[in-house]
Amino acid sequence: MKRTVIGFVISALILVALAVWALKGHLSGNIGEIAMAGIVLVLVGFALFVGVSRLRSHRRHEPAEDEMSRQYMTRASSLAFYISIYLWLFVMYVSDKTTLPSHTLIGGGIVAMAMVFFLCWLGVRLFGMKHE
Amino acid sequence: MNNRIRELRAKEDISQLELARIVGVRRETVVFLEKGKYNPSLRLAHDVAHHFGLPIEQVFLFDDEPAMPNG
Repeated sequence: MKRTVIGFVISALILVALAVWALKGHLSGNIGEIAMAGIVLVLVGFALFVGVSRLRSHRRHEPAEDEMSRQYMTRASSLAFYISIYLWLFVMYVSDKTTLPSHTLIGGGIVAMAMVFFLCWLGVRLFGMKHE
Repeated sequence: MNNRIRELRAKEDISQLELARIVGVRRETVVFLEKGKYNPSLRLAHDVAHHFGLPIEQVFLFDDEPAMPNG
């Protein structure tokens, strides 16, 4: 329960930071910035979905985690780690070809890692895990 | 791997949530088990089979083996 509340607080802080960033005029219609804001919203939505599902389980007196949810998380994490290695190789390649500052590349890489994890989690849930 | 959880649950007239509570997992896990999207651990398979009063091999069936008699 404590972890769920912490997740909600972090999600709320990210949304507030995004709103402040947009209101200060940084969201100027640049496609890259809009895409980044969209990805952050998707990731916050993912965190909120996990939090709400944990709360629902708590209300039903079910365990917040069980063997299946742990295995799905482990599988999604290992897949995301494997893909992220290639993602960082790509970022290194891009860093040589562009003049983007390193903090933008690193920030983009971290957001992309989170997105890769979200997609892996979604894939594992959609296609299941049968060990066959 | 297939299983007869849905059929056995219907026979006993218990919901997915009730079965989940009995075997100590989330309802979602029972849903995924019934859909064949998740193969349970030996412990969970044992608990489910034990609840229905059947041996594991009469609840969980491999695709390449015929259904056990007296199921």
